[in-house]
Amino acid sequence: MLVSYNWLKDFLDLDGQDPYELAEEITRSGVEIPDRIHPMDGLKKLVVGHVLDCEGVEGTHLHLTHVDVGEDEPLQIVCGAPNVAAGEDVIVALHGARIAGNEKIKKGKIRGMESYGMICGLQEIGFSDSVVPEKYADGIYVFSEDAEVKPGQDIYEALGMDDYILNFDITPNRADTLGMEGAAYEVGAIIDQKPKVEEKVVLKEDGPAWTDSLDAKIDEKLAPKFYLRKLENVKIQDSPLWLQRRLWNAGIRPINNVVDVTNYVMLLTGQPMHAYDAKTFANGKFEVRLANKGEKLTLLNEKEVELDPNDIIITDGEKPVMMAGVMGGLNSEITSETTDVILESAIFDPALVRKAALRHANRTEASSRYEKGVNWDATEKAINMAALLLRNDANATVDEGILKATDQKREPVVVKTTASYINKVLGTKLSVDEIVKIFDRLCFKVDVDGDNLAVHVPNRRWDISIPADLVEEVGRLYGYDNLESTQPVLPETHGGYSEKEEMMRRMKAIVEGQGLMEAISYSLTSPEKATRYTKDPKDLVEVQSPLNSSRSAMRENLMTGLVDAASYNFARKQTQLALFEQGRTYDHEGGTFNEHEHLAALYSGNTFAENWQHLTQKVDFYFVKGQLTNLFAAIGIDLDKVVYKAEGIQGMHPTRTAGIYIDKQYVGMIGMVAHAVTLSDKALRGSELYGYEIDLDIIIPMLTKGVTAVPAPKFPAIQRDLSLLVDKPVTNQEIENVIESNAGKYLVDLKVIDVYEGSHIVAGKKSISYNLTFLNRKDTLTDDVVNNAMDKVVAALENDLAIKVR
Amino acid sequence: MDLFDKLKELHEEGLNQINKAKDEKTLNDVRVELVGRKGELTKILHSMREVAPENRREVGQKVNELRDLFNAQLDEAKEKIVKAVLAKKLEDEKIDVTLPGREAHLGSKHPINIILDDLESYFIGMGYRVVQGPEIETDHYCFEMMNIPKDHPARDMQATFYIDSEDLLRTQTSGDQARVLEKHDFSKGPLKMVGPGKVYRRDDDDATHSHQFMQMEGLVVDKNITMSDLKGTLEMISKHVFGQDRETRLRPSYFPFTEPSVEMDVSCFNCDGKGCPICKYTGWIEVLGAGMVHPNVLENAGIDSTVYGGFAFGVGLDRFAILKYGIDDIRDFYTNDVRFLEQFRKEER
Repeated sequence: MLVSYNWLKDFLDLDGQDPYELAEEITRSGVEIPDRIHPMDGLKKLVVGHVLDCEGVEGTHLHLTHVDVGEDEPLQIVCGAPNVAAGEDVIVALHGARIAGNEKIKKGKIRGMESYGMICGLQEIGFSDSVVPEKYADGIYVFSEDAEVKPGQDIYEALGMDDYILNFDITPNRADTLGMEGAAYEVGAIIDQKPKVEEKVVLKEDGPAWTDSLDAKIDEKLAPKFYLRKLENVKIQDSPLWLQRRLWNAGIRPINNVVDVTNYVMLLTGQPMHAYDAKTFANGKFEVRLANKGEKLTLLNEKEVELDPNDIIITDGEKPVMMAGVMGGLNSEITSETTDVILESAIFDPALVRKAALRHANRTEASSRYEKGVNWDATEKAINMAALLLRNDANATVDEGILKATDQKREPVVVKTTASYINKVLGTKLSVDEIVKIFDRLCFKVDVDGDNLAVHVPNRRWDISIPADLVEEVGRLYGYDNLESTQPVLPETHGGYSEKEEMMRRMKAIVEGQGLMEAISYSLTSPEKATRYTKDPKDLVEVQSPLNSSRSAMRENLMTGLVDAASYNFARKQTQLALFEQGRTYDHEGGTFNEHEHLAALYSGNTFAENWQHLTQKVDFYFVKGQLTNLFAAIGIDLDKVVYKAEGIQGMHPTRTAGIYIDKQYVGMIGMVAHAVTLSDKALRGSELYGYEIDLDIIIPMLTKGVTAVPAPKFPAIQRDLSLLVDKPVTNQEIENVIESNAGKYLVDLKVIDVYEGSHIVAGKKSISYNLTFLNRKDTLTDDVVNNAMDKVVAALENDLAIKVR
Repeated sequence: MDLFDKLKELHEEGLNQINKAKDEKTLNDVRVELVGRKGELTKILHSMREVAPENRREVGQKVNELRDLFNAQLDEAKEKIVKAVLAKKLEDEKIDVTLPGREAHLGSKHPINIILDDLESYFIGMGYRVVQGPEIETDHYCFEMMNIPKDHPARDMQATFYIDSEDLLRTQTSGDQARVLEKHDFSKGPLKMVGPGKVYRRDDDDATHSHQFMQMEGLVVDKNITMSDLKGTLEMISKHVFGQDRETRLRPSYFPFTEPSVEMDVSCFNCDGKGCPICKYTGWIEVLGAGMVHPNVLENAGIDSTVYGGFAFGVGLDRFAILKYGIDDIRDFYTNDVRFLEQFRKEER
């Protein structure tokens, strides 16, 4: 809500209050004011001018005018606006003036004619298009007679530009300040002044009693309070300038006196109002109900909407004439022909109004107030105030009586608390008197009984209902600045991570130390990507209304995010990648929502950055496997238990991918991203991406904590090499299994030292060489023992796998 | 020629040969020839018989003198040669130390996690437990338990990713509060926790909105927790993250799960409070929301709100990182451009 500082002066004595300092105080104690606007800032030498004469310049759209600007001689000004005419009071930018956008106005020649200034439209002096009255939208502004301006005087006061406009950026609980009276109570409490707010409107009803002439059928659930008034012989015209400037300073465009009054009363009281042409209800029926399916309504903004069965509507007994609380219908609009007006002041169901506004993408000043609630006590005052203003400004006859179609009462609440509770929560030592004084600033009556307080909260503060709400009122008005800054005095607590979290952090540190950069990807992806790179995909978790189809399902793997990242980087010529992500994957297996902590890595390019020595290698399966092996070793996984099985996984290279098993349990996968994936992505075409993904929820429980030290060996180890000629399909794993199960207990290490396939070897064969390390920790090992072991190994290899030693 | 002449000649010739030798092998040959067991000096001693007895002593003396001289000269020559060889070897081995080294991959931590780790360790030091909750949350924990009523805007389909009528992607980490409150045994001490994690909102991604981001929730509950404690705690975090010289202010705000609710601003670190585009000319930058735990939240978790109370706060980690590192597009966190990520290496702690 844009709160006018000048308007606030109707309620409060603000002499000596700097508007900006006041705004800071309000921000710290009540409602945030992020912007403060002083419309005349940056403007200079703008005065009222009286157009003495005005002639069209032949062959142009220009006019040559002479304008009295309060100086000895009138100024000659060339003006291009279509609506300039003799006798008008206008805005003149003199030579040397500054107008909006810091533009400078100088005298000059236009088509050879001297022009000593410029006649301005409102936009040119900084008004927003959205508030300029329609008739001045495409021309200059012309002061109305009631402006009572004189040539030569500054324009700022007449147009309300000397005002300070404080933008109350309210939180939803403080909708009580969405009216000037509410704002005045709030500012009054902050600066310790009682605002002058009139409780009742004195209104003369000259017209006949009318309330029986309309049969109003109102669903009380939809509109618990519903008041109508009738005005006759209304003269539709422009509103007086004072009212217009209050509207435009609040961001609302003046339209005509009837519409303006409804808006003005809303700004004043916070109670949205509506005015119908009384002709609408000529058949004597008036109805508030939910819309029927298929009903349509053309709104004041000329958009036809299909109504929803949850929209509250007003009808003439048959067809809809208004979307209640949101916007009127074109068919009940106030026009220049309108003579009789029905005024409405009502309270509608907040949630239904909010949903209707949202559904039809039509949030209005009215709906945004209704959805947060309105002052239950303002209904009558608002309708009477509107009638009074129209009586004054539109010569209206006010018919006798208010038609109160529904009239639920709401009793003001009394909240009971204690001074000691308030102090305990705030950490203050305020006396009962000090607390009562703060409530008095809010104009809340308090019954005091020792420490006990019974606070009478008026209906205009419907946000307050429990003691904690009172704590807030006392705290903010006492001033959060005045609270001490302390630390909780508590018994010692042991802070830290869970054991699982500790281990995940350690693994992240290790892979980061291996040179991987941490990525964070979106959890939502496409259903296809969500299950790619996943062995045995589970039931997907899909959101009901995704923003788009590429973000509709929760990922079951992290690899997909890393491949997306690779694509993004490749498209930007960044092809040297080493990325990791630690995060969750999600599935709906077994009817429950499951989340798993994973770790994934993705590599592309070279093991070392390109260098002048050409000492680098392309990243390949074995490089990545080595990195993963190092990670396993670093967290204490027994590497002998880790088994890699060639495996087909969707999205991964069919012959370069392995499932990883520890103790026969599947813990993840490693391999190359499939050609099918990289070929279908322009940026990744032809690239080789290698990576792994492991499930930390399975691996972490396998880890043991703590170390029992074993001394370094005291006896020398013996090494033997073994070169084998092997059929190609035989895997290293098969050979190692045979060696390990036949080499006896002194075999402590087994390494592959060479693999050769090529022209020097018989077709269909390959050569693999191993290095075996034997060690007896308790004694010196003899050659005999080792030879014996080697003989057994060689025999077993020949026997089990038909392998010959070379 | 008598032996004296011979010695004289050997003297000259020997020194000459020693000087001529340019490598260790030649020098060794010279040594063998001059002072070796079958060398010239030995030959002269062997021919002593031919010398008159009265001269033998003098010859012997001269031979010894000459041997000493040769040995000394040979040693000197050898040392020279060794030095020269070494110098040559070192010259051959010379490298250009200004050529670049081979660079391996260098790891880095994601900027949001740099902020998170820093905050976590800060809170752990103050005795807070780090708690992780589910990202796929129920309406019950995300909203109902947190005092967010059924028709609250946050529960709209427009704002939240619902999976079905009861399950959703959490829009806030506050659900962790409810879960921890339900389980905490106050007889074993006060509750102090922080709960970081990913949250999701149904916003289209742009420079300032992301459908996924990271939050951290904080909660302290016991019998005598005050709003002054909250103020002190928030000031410490803000100053820890944004600098000790920052001013802070608390503003009234509104959250369904706290009452009173506040937001904390720090004085703009770009303009120091004078007003600039970063703080939108207010001099202040909003950094977090907080408040005293709403009695309904405690009661919903089965805790007597007349006995226990506390404070809660929530920080947007993306927002902290954006502010701290001057990032102008939140999407940069999730596209994982390596040129963006690598710059945070030096920030690691």
